[in-house]
Amino acid sequence: MRRALLLLACVAVLAAGCGKSSRSSGGDVVIAVDVPVTGSPYVAQNIRHGVALAANNLNSGGGIIVGTHSYHLKVKLYDNHLSARQAVEDTRRALDAGAVAMVTDGTGIDATWQLANREHVPICITYDGGSGLVDIAKRPNVFRIAPTNHGIAFRYAEYLIPKGFKVGLLHDDSAYGQEGAADVNRAFSENPRSVAVRLTLPFGATDLSPQILRAKRAGATALLVWAQPPTIAAVLTAARSIGWNVPVYTSPTGSDPFIRQQLADHPSWVDGLTFAGGRLTAEIGTGPFQAFESQYESTYGTDKVGVKTAGGQPVIQPPELAMYAYDFTHVLVAALTRAGSLDASKVLSALNEVTTQGANGDERGFNRNNHEGVVDDDVYFARFHDMTYAPVKDDPLSSTLPVIPQTP
Amino acid sequence: MRRLAVLIALCPLALAAGAAAQRTQQVVLPGPVPYPTDSPPLVGGGVLANVYLTPGLHVDSAERVSVGVDGTGKPSAIAVEQTLTVHGKGDYQLSVSGPIAHVRRGPGSQSEPGFRTDQVLWAGFSPGTKRLSARVELRVPPAAPYLPLRLHLTREDGGVTLRITNATATPVQSYEGVVRPREIAKLLDQTRRSSLAGKRVKAAFATFLGEVRVPERPVRIEAPLRVDGELRLPGGEPVRFSRVLGDGQPLSFEVHAQGSGKPELDLEARTAPVVRLLRPPGARTWEAAIRRRPIPPAKLLSLLIGARFRLVRSDQFQTFLADPDADGRSSAVYDYTVGAAAPRQVAVPDRSGGGSDTLLIVLVVLGSVVVAGGGLVAWAHS
Repeated sequence: MRRALLLLACVAVLAAGCGKSSRSSGGDVVIAVDVPVTGSPYVAQNIRHGVALAANNLNSGGGIIVGTHSYHLKVKLYDNHLSARQAVEDTRRALDAGAVAMVTDGTGIDATWQLANREHVPICITYDGGSGLVDIAKRPNVFRIAPTNHGIAFRYAEYLIPKGFKVGLLHDDSAYGQEGAADVNRAFSENPRSVAVRLTLPFGATDLSPQILRAKRAGATALLVWAQPPTIAAVLTAARSIGWNVPVYTSPTGSDPFIRQQLADHPSWVDGLTFAGGRLTAEIGTGPFQAFESQYESTYGTDKVGVKTAGGQPVIQPPELAMYAYDFTHVLVAALTRAGSLDASKVLSALNEVTTQGANGDERGFNRNNHEGVVDDDVYFARFHDMTYAPVKDDPLSSTLPVIPQTP
Repeated sequence: MRRLAVLIALCPLALAAGAAAQRTQQVVLPGPVPYPTDSPPLVGGGVLANVYLTPGLHVDSAERVSVGVDGTGKPSAIAVEQTLTVHGKGDYQLSVSGPIAHVRRGPGSQSEPGFRTDQVLWAGFSPGTKRLSARVELRVPPAAPYLPLRLHLTREDGGVTLRITNATATPVQSYEGVVRPREIAKLLDQTRRSSLAGKRVKAAFATFLGEVRVPERPVRIEAPLRVDGELRLPGGEPVRFSRVLGDGQPLSFEVHAQGSGKPELDLEARTAPVVRLLRPPGARTWEAAIRRRPIPPAKLLSLLIGARFRLVRSDQFQTFLADPDADGRSSAVYDYTVGAAAPRQVAVPDRSGGGSDTLLIVLVVLGSVVVAGGGLVAWAHS
């Protein structure tokens, strides 16, 4: 009997020794996504999908390891309805749910950052490029992975002014339009001779003929429009319908599928439309972005624009916004790993010290001096032709970038 | 007698034949790398971020190191204004390491520097040329030991005495052997030309006949420094000074200023070319000098190795903070003042010439390792 007991004890010890060592599960780590599901569904869906895709990838690999525990990422979705008041309510609920970070389009950030900052919870903006939203001194918990209005405006100034254009600076009276106009005005302030006219357009107006006529009479030889997609579509309609083939340059909203959908009956009106955006590919080529795109499409399907090329091929939209949200999730996880704890202040501090490889192959990260994940140098210009766009050839950065396929 | 005469006549021939039969080897001379010590450039504590430079891009570094000293001459604040100039079109991602306390944008910078633990970060796109300037404040205790000068201020009746010492002196392992005087003279002339032109010393080899010996005692070399400045006390006449410390001249000197109150110091130091040690005696070139009057080959070799080590050491002090591009042109000026460290404008170097080739440096380093290894084996078997 004693021998049998000894044998059993030995077996038990051996079994314990041979067992696979595993970290104890710490449960879920919540990432809150606060986006305008009912106000701007395209933006909301892209951001949500980006975070969820990264979370799914990490969870399927066994979750993330923070300190001595492993965790699963859980994504909680909130709809801010493009309302700052709702964003505040969402933030309170997310903090109550124990979110370690929030990802947002930027709605209501002026009010929500303080709530989150009290708990040292980071917020990352992945859409709105407004100046002042990210301020490392005043808002230490606010980060952004999206091109900034400031960067885009100054890139436009250095791109357009040497061309000798008399630029009509147009913006709509939405918050987005007004924020962008402030940066554009600053960027062009040192070259007032290159500005023909400054006009504010009413957001939601379908007929902008009087304003466009005014810009034409003021001698504008190019239009720079910072506005919501419907306004841009209305500007193109007004200009082209009077036969004015003025080159039109726009904010990143120029790539929104809505414009092409609105002008689907006049594809030539879209031709030549140039917009600014964050580069989708790194110098190493299209490989990393296409790998991300293919993963995105196999999970969520393609984002169809709803228009076709002249050859009859349906046009798809590359998942740019999803890429930024995806990248932030990876940077956040790197910070959690570095912090080795879910302690919010440690995670917030670690976010300044980590870099990951972004979905497009670029390095992505923040630092103590800068909470912008897209540097101004990474703003490129793309021009539409046949309902798809390609980087322009007359800008040093853009000319180095490959074309992202936009048809199946 | 005839036999003896024939024997005497044959002796030199026999010796010459013996020398010809001696094994010759190409020995790598010092420079352009490795540097005699690990720092400068300074090294920080954190893990260095990835560095990426589009092929064909080059980065030059111009630094002004501002050192504030206390009433005894001890460093109390160190700041560096570093301007990196990216040449070429493409992406760059750079990091500069060091014991960094704080970083902010420098004058004329076309981008904002990032800051992480002990790192300055730069990332972006150069459309052809791009200026990246940062003002970097350093933690004094880990940075001060690598400054090129030591200052010592002492109060005396009616004034203050400042002792300035070149602190770059360091021991290096030299080598000796039988060499060909003409070849060494030619190499001395090449090295002198590089030194006078302010160019980085280029990789070079010398032919040794037979074994290469390593002297038991290492040689002490220094980066020659030109020191210009002014010391003054309230109520007294300013005392101006301008000296070269090193290059065969003393490594320290003293200046005394009369007056009372807090001393004011304005001192600028920069590396100086090796001039005195490389001056050929009685001729315009070393090749001409040895034609005019024989100079012992051992002396020529010692001069050559010493001068090249000094130039390498000088090059080392051109990067107090590292140039992220090992092939880039670098320059540094060191300012010392009593009180706070306030940087002046950095002069960006011209990229019209000079520099060196990364591949060449790598090959030279590899070559040095191979030759050193071969030498060691030969020595062990001798």
